[in-house]
Amino acid sequence: MDSENHSITLPEIYRFLAQSMHYPDPEWMNADFIQFLNAFLQELHWTDEADTLNTALKSSDNFLEDIQIEHTRLFINAVPHVAAPPYASVYFKGDGTLYGNIAEKTKQFYREKGFYLSKEDDLPDHIVYELEFLALLENTDKTGAQEFLEDLFRPWFTLFYSKVTKEARHPYYRVMMKLIDFFTREEL
Amino acid sequence: MSLKVTRRKFLQTASLAAASVPLAKVVSAENGFVRKPFTPPGSSAGTTTVTGGICEMCFWRCQLVGKVRDKKLVKLEGNPKSIDNGTAICARGNAGIKLLYDPDRLKYPMKNVGERGNPKWKRISWEEALDECAAKLKAVEEKYGPHGIAMFPHGASAKYPMHFFERAVGTHNVSEASFFQCRGIRDTAYVSTFNTAPGEHVDMANAKAILLIGCHFGENVHVSHLKRYLKGLENGAKLVVVDPRYSASAAKSDIWVQIKPGTDTAFLLAIMNYLIENNKYDKKFVAAHCDGFEEFQKGISHASLDWAAQICDIPASQIKEVAELLAANAPNVSIHPGRHVSWHGNDFQRLRAHACLTALLGAIGVKGGFVKPKGPKVKGISWAKGHHDGAHNLKEMADKYHFAPPGTPTELIRDACITGKPYPIKGCVIWGQNPMQTIPKPQKTVEALKQMDFVMCVDVMPTDITMYADILLPEASYLERYDYIKKGTQWNFADKHEQFISARMPLVEAMFERKDEVWITNELAKRMGHADKIPVNSLEEKVEKELASAGLSIAQLKKEDGIHIQPGKDPYGVSEDFEVLLYNEDIEDSGYPGVPTYIPVEEVPKGFARLVYGRSPVHTFNRSQNNVWLYNAMPVNPVWLNDESANKMGLKDGDEVSMVNSEGVKSTFTSVVKVTPGIRKDTVYMAHGYGSKNPMLTVGKGAGIDDQALITKIAIDPETGCSGMRNNFVKLVKSGKALDIPA
Ligand code: SF4
Repeated sequence: MDSENHSITLPEIYRFLAQSMHYPDPEWMNADFIQFLNAFLQELHWTDEADTLNTALKSSDNFLEDIQIEHTRLFINAVPHVAAPPYASVYFKGDGTLYGNIAEKTKQFYREKGFYLSKEDDLPDHIVYELEFLALLENTDKTGAQEFLEDLFRPWFTLFYSKVTKEARHPYYRVMMKLIDFFTREEL
Repeated sequence: MSLKVTRRKFLQTASLAAASVPLAKVVSAENGFVRKPFTPPGSSAGTTTVTGGICEMCFWRCQLVGKVRDKKLVKLEGNPKSIDNGTAICARGNAGIKLLYDPDRLKYPMKNVGERGNPKWKRISWEEALDECAAKLKAVEEKYGPHGIAMFPHGASAKYPMHFFERAVGTHNVSEASFFQCRGIRDTAYVSTFNTAPGEHVDMANAKAILLIGCHFGENVHVSHLKRYLKGLENGAKLVVVDPRYSASAAKSDIWVQIKPGTDTAFLLAIMNYLIENNKYDKKFVAAHCDGFEEFQKGISHASLDWAAQICDIPASQIKEVAELLAANAPNVSIHPGRHVSWHGNDFQRLRAHACLTALLGAIGVKGGFVKPKGPKVKGISWAKGHHDGAHNLKEMADKYHFAPPGTPTELIRDACITGKPYPIKGCVIWGQNPMQTIPKPQKTVEALKQMDFVMCVDVMPTDITMYADILLPEASYLERYDYIKKGTQWNFADKHEQFISARMPLVEAMFERKDEVWITNELAKRMGHADKIPVNSLEEKVEKELASAGLSIAQLKKEDGIHIQPGKDPYGVSEDFEVLLYNEDIEDSGYPGVPTYIPVEEVPKGFARLVYGRSPVHTFNRSQNNVWLYNAMPVNPVWLNDESANKMGLKDGDEVSMVNSEGVKSTFTSVVKVTPGIRKDTVYMAHGYGSKNPMLTVGKGAGIDDQALITKIAIDPETGCSGMRNNFVKLVKSGKALDIPA
C-alpha cells in the first residue's frame, strides 16, 4: 500500500492503532513510526498533541525506554500496581479479573465472523486483538464492525480510556488513547 | 485542542504525504488472526473435564480436576477418584481460578531500572533476563565463592532450583520458611525422639481422644486432615484444645485449656509427671521402646500440677482432668504434633515433650495414635549432590543450632549479609518465598537485600519481596505446569488399605511468557557453566522419569483419570527396634537440656498484650491476599480483644484500630476490633498474612494489619535456629492514641 498517494482508510488506521499498543520494541517503535504518527497528528490538526510528543521526545535521553517503562507500568505490572490492564474483562461485566465472560463472548464474535486467534490459548480481549479484528472486519463487514464497536469494544474502552488518561505519566499513551477514542466512537 | 477535522472528513482527505513513510513500513504485516469459516461448536461447545490437577493454594496439595471451556478454566473441583481429599476442595482451592486470571500476576521478565524497594519496571526478553541473572550470579560466585549466594525458596517449584544452588553451585545458604519459620522445629524434635519426622500423622479418625496444642482446625483448613479430625469427633473422640483463644477447635472441645501463651511445655511436663507418679503411663510400651526413662522421670519430677498451674495460669484441676482423660483413652489418643510451631524460641523442647507424651501413652502404631501411612515409593529426580565440604557452613562455623532442620538458619544468613562476617553474601535468589512476610523483623531483611550486588526473584505474584528484585521472573502457576508427585494412602485407615500416585499436570497452557522452574533453572545453569550437570531437560521429562520409577507414565496416569490407585498396606503396628529417646544424650552433649524442659519466655509488659497470630480458613497467609474471591470472603483480619479489656479501653466491636509494638514499630494499616470473652486479657490475636505493602497488588494492598511488621523482637530457638514469632507485645491505637491494655 502506498499511503503517500491515496487517502488513508479506516482499516489502515485500526492497524496503525493496534500496532501502537504493542509492547514498544525497536523493530517498530522507531523514528519512522514517530514520523508517521507526527504526520498523522498534523493531518488531523492535533498540533497540541504533536507538540507534547515532540517535547517529550526531545527532552528524553532514551525515548524508547521511557515508553517501555510506561507500557510496563500501565499494562503489565508496576508501581503503583498494574494501572490499566488492556483487557475488556477487567472493566466490563466481571469482577476485575482476566478471562471473564466478556472475553469469551468476544472470542465467539471473532469466530462467527470467520476469524480465529492464531494463538488459541491467548486472551482474546486484549486491545491489540480487538483493533486488529476491527481492521479485518471493516474491510469485509462494515455492519459487523459497527456492531462489534457498540457491543463489545466501546463499553470497556471508555473506562480503559479514562483510566489510562488518569494514570499515564508519558504523553504517548494519552495521545494514543485519544486517537483510538476518536476513531472508534460514534460520530455525531 | 480543537478538533478541526472530523473523522469523516479526515478519512476522505488525509493523504499523509508529509509523512514520507508509508504505513506499511510502520505497521507489521502480521496480525493475530487466521481466517477460517465459522463452524458452530455443536456438542464440543460444552465444558470438558481435565484431570491431573494438584492444588497449591496451600501445601496440602489436594487432587483436582479442571472444568475447561474453550481453553478457559471455568471451575476447579476435587478429583472424584481421589482417596485423599475426594471431591472436596476448600474455599482457597476453588479460588485458584482467580489466581490464574489475576491481572496483577507477573507476565513477562522485568528489569528494575529504578532502585531496590522503589522499583521502576521494564519488560525485557527472557534472553536478556537470563543473561543478566547468570552473569551477575556468576560474578558473585567468582568474587566471593558460591557461599556468597543466598537462596530463599518456597513451594513445590522451588525444590529444583534450590537443589541447583545447593548442589551444583554449592552454597549452604539456603533457608526455607517452611523449616525455619514454621515446622522445622517439629521435625527435628521428633527425629531426636522417634528418629522420624512426624508430619501430621496422627490417626485422628480412629482416636478416642485428641489433644491439640495451639492447632485451630476449622480456621486452619487442609481437606483430608480435616476429614480425619471431623471423623474422629463424629466417632465420639474426646477433644482437648489448649489455646489462649476460643478457636474454632476450642468451640468443639470437651476441655478448653485457656493457657497463658509460651507456657505449653510446663503444661505437658506436668501431665507427664502426673502420669508417671500415678502409674498411668504405658509401662509395657516404655519398657519395650523407650530409652532414658529414669533420667526423664527425674528430669521432670519437679513438674507438679500446682507448679504448672501457676506458670500456665490455669487451674491445677484442669491439668489433672486432661491427664486423666488422656490416660483413660490411651493408647488410642492423638497427640497432634502441630505444624506451624515456631512460636516463642523455646519450641524444640515443647515439641520434644509432645513426642515424649505420645510415647508415655503408648500412642504409637495403634488406632488413633501416631501412625505413619505406608505409601507408595516414587523416586524424585533432581540435581546430583556435589562434593562440597562444610567449610562455609554458617551453622558449623558458629557452632550453634545443632538440631537445625536442613539448610541454614535465616538469622545466620541475614547477620552475615549485614556484617559481612564471617564472609560476605552478595547475591540473592528468592523463589516463591516472600521473606518480607515470613521472616520477623522485615527491616533486617531490607538491610540484607540492599547490600547485595544482585537480587533476583521468581514468583507468580508481585509479593512484597519482589519490590527488592533487580530482575523479576514470572513463573507458571500450579494450574499451568507439570511438577509435583502427590502420593499417599486413603485418608481413613479404617477403610480398605489403598495407595495412590498422582502427578501435577497442567489444566491449561501458561499464558504470557510464564515459564516453569526446570526451564528457568536449566537456562541459568547453562549460562553459569553447569550445563553438564543438568539432570532433566524439561519438567515434563522430570515427571515422566519419576513416574517411571513406580512403573507409571504420564499417559498411563491420564488414562486413569489422573490418579493411579493400587493395593495398600496396613499402617498399624510398631517395629521391635522402634526407639524413643525420652532422654537424649546427644542433645545434652550439645549443651541443651536432654530431658524436655520448660524455658520461660519474656513476660508481657504492663499496658501491652502478647501478639498471637494464626490462620484464616480462606487465606494461605500472605499468598492469597490479592485473590478477589478470598479477599471478599475476609478482607481484613479482625483483632481479637478480651471484652472486659475492651470495655475499660472504651473500644467497641468493629472499631477501626492500628497497632504499635513495645519497640515503637507501628502497623502501616488498620483493622477492626473483635470484642470477645474468648481470648485472654494478656493476648491479642489476628490472622496472619494481611497488610501487603506492594502497591503492585490491586486487591490485597493495605488490607488489614501486617502483623509481620510488628514482629520485631527475634526469639531464636537455641537448638534449631528457627524464629520464634510470638514474643512481641502490642498496644492498640485508636484515632492516633495508643491505648493501654489492662492486665
Ligand atoms: S486444602 Fe484447600 S488450598 Fe489446600 S490444597 Fe486442599 S483445596 Fe487447595
